[in-house]
Amino acid sequence: MTLAPELSAALVERLTAFADDELVLGHHQAGWTGHAPLLEEDIAIANVAQDEIGHAVAWLELRAALDGSDPDRLVFFRAASDYRSAWLSEQPRGDWAFTMLRQYLFDAYEAELLARLSASSYRPLADTAAKVAREELFHLRHSRLWVERLAHGTDESRDRLVSAVAVAWPLMAQLLAPLPQDAALEAAGITYSSRDLEESVVAATSAELVRHGFALPPFAPVPAGDPRALRTEHLAPTLLVMQSVARSDADAQAW
Amino acid sequence: MTEVQAAQRAAAFEARIAAGEKIEAGDWMPDEYRRQLIRMIGQHAHSEYVGMLPEGAWIDAAPTLRRKLILVAKVQDEAGHGQYLYHAAETLGATRAEMLDALLEGRAKYSSVFNYPTLTWADVGMIGWLVDGAAIKNQLMLAQCSYGPYSRAMVRICAEETFHHLQGREMILTYASGTPHQRAMAQDALDRWWWPALMMLGPHDADSPNSPQLKAWRVKTKSNDEVRQEFLDEHAPELLAAGLTIPDDDLRFDEETRHWRHGSIDWAEFWRVVKGDGPCNAERLAARRAAHDDGRWVREALAAHAARASQRASE
Amino acid sequence: MTVDGQLPRWEVFKQDASSKAHAAVGSVHAADAEHALLMARSVFARRPSAVSLWLAPRWAVHEFTREQLAEALATPGTQLAAPMRYRVFIKSSDRRSMAAYEHRGEVVASGTSAALRAATPDELPLGMWLVEDAAVIASAPADAEAWFAPASDKRYKQQSEYAVSVKRHPATREGT
Repeated sequence: MTLAPELSAALVERLTAFADDELVLGHHQAGWTGHAPLLEEDIAIANVAQDEIGHAVAWLELRAALDGSDPDRLVFFRAASDYRSAWLSEQPRGDWAFTMLRQYLFDAYEAELLARLSASSYRPLADTAAKVAREELFHLRHSRLWVERLAHGTDESRDRLVSAVAVAWPLMAQLLAPLPQDAALEAAGITYSSRDLEESVVAATSAELVRHGFALPPFAPVPAGDPRALRTEHLAPTLLVMQSVARSDADAQAW
Repeated sequence: MTEVQAAQRAAAFEARIAAGEKIEAGDWMPDEYRRQLIRMIGQHAHSEYVGMLPEGAWIDAAPTLRRKLILVAKVQDEAGHGQYLYHAAETLGATRAEMLDALLEGRAKYSSVFNYPTLTWADVGMIGWLVDGAAIKNQLMLAQCSYGPYSRAMVRICAEETFHHLQGREMILTYASGTPHQRAMAQDALDRWWWPALMMLGPHDADSPNSPQLKAWRVKTKSNDEVRQEFLDEHAPELLAAGLTIPDDDLRFDEETRHWRHGSIDWAEFWRVVKGDGPCNAERLAARRAAHDDGRWVREALAAHAARASQRASE
Repeated sequence: MTVDGQLPRWEVFKQDASSKAHAAVGSVHAADAEHALLMARSVFARRPSAVSLWLAPRWAVHEFTREQLAEALATPGTQLAAPMRYRVFIKSSDRRSMAAYEHRGEVVASGTSAALRAATPDELPLGMWLVEDAAVIASAPADAEAWFAPASDKRYKQQSEYAVSVKRHPATREGT
């Protein structure tokens, strides 16, 4: 199925946002390898990180099929201002409570997102979504377990989760806000109703967090027009390290 | 037990070993056999656990998506291998808590090769090619170990370690035939990792007091020098064929014996690093301690949650 | 009571394929059954292949060497009030492998000695484990697709991805 140019361009934008979310999140998760609170969790979080980075690759390969872009060039040679990652994914990894709470929010979002994308009228997108959804099932089970254990563990673990919720929950609105081009994709049946997605994700995650006894702060205001126009101050330092070796030798043909 | 009975026990044990049987956790074994194995397996486990750090530091800066995935998987494997080895030691009566305490308090040894810094991205490749290459030779040998749980852990580790070796070699071969910057980086990495990799296989046989007893009990089935020779014969020609220079002016191929010969090893440096005076010893332990301390509240939360759950269950 | 670093240990049994038996592959430290299951999947199923995991807390695993089997078979042993079901794992070979204790079946008996008598084949195996069935937790068959199948896609960590041919150095030419 070949897409009309405007739809193709709109889908490129959408896929880039998905990829950037996964990549930046996966990069932060990978940073735990060797420093997790339990040896078994070192192994578990390394798997989550590989899955997330693998998902970024999958979205970028879908984009490459549309516009001939090179995933590695996009990841390692784009400036922070050209990234389309959500504020929630750009937050640094924080402590284990923040990491698991943020992971839970993303996993719950992806559960709803991927279920809808699996019904896309654009076959390559539906197939990729189904594959990604398979791995996400385990992520959600894992992160939900941790939210529950930490919410009902010690006073300290609960306090740390409260701090995590205070930082992460307000950023949900921006994560879920549609991009300007999404309307065209929705109309073509390529993606989902963003309003429907937003309602489902907010309902599911707020119910879970309220069930654990957390009060939810208000959402941070989402920029009008393009909700993902601005980065947080965290991304540039993250990319500085992430891109350092690749940029140290721009002539290199292979690594 | 009488002296005669004790002697019979020991003789029966030696006969089982000689017959190639595997000793399991519940089998009678000499105290020294148990002690040596706990020491060896513990050191091996700690080496994997600490070994995650030098390469783990480069995950953030891996230059392509594929290299990033590969490195996360590799460091994950090192955690996994530590995990299998702590399990093997636990079958002998050690506990993970005791072993970790010993490591974090500086009482336990681990392979000195991980006390060297990883200064460039190419170090990741050189560690994969040389350090994992040396480790594989050792591990293949240990897979024949008489103690069942250790031997089985080794077989599992060997199956996973080959990927580490091959991806490291692939990286260095790529850089050795890449840009001038990449070639220089590869050569620099070799200059710094060659001797640590050779030394990793342990002191010369004459200086290894534990080796004869370990060989008799089929815990080790080859000597350090034998394994080192295998490593050298495989890696020297491949590094040279890649166009790299090995930092050993005395390295040569002996036409008569068909073996490579290396120059003399600076054992003074080896012992300094083993005893804690290497470039990164303090840093490695500090990182391990920090991770452990930072994670304490998490482990306490897990324990509190479990205690509450079992209390509810019994009500 | 748990002390820092002293989470309980759970033995893990993995089934590589539906045509194969579950085999003991190692253990995980975890505070509770659900966590143990998720950790066992992370540790033991990060590469192919696996279709099912069983876990049991250490206290539910009774290990017997060949010698201990012979001794136990000779004694009546303690009788339990009610019969208990055990899963039987047998070591039948000392050959080089990743796993030695393989699932052979189940017995119901009033104590481990009775279970051993019921489970032991005519020829004494090299070793046997009896695992209390009531304590076993298992991965759900419905989860196999999500938990185990994706490992095959991570080809970058399989050695078969790296068939790199290496130039030979002149000093080690063939035939000389």
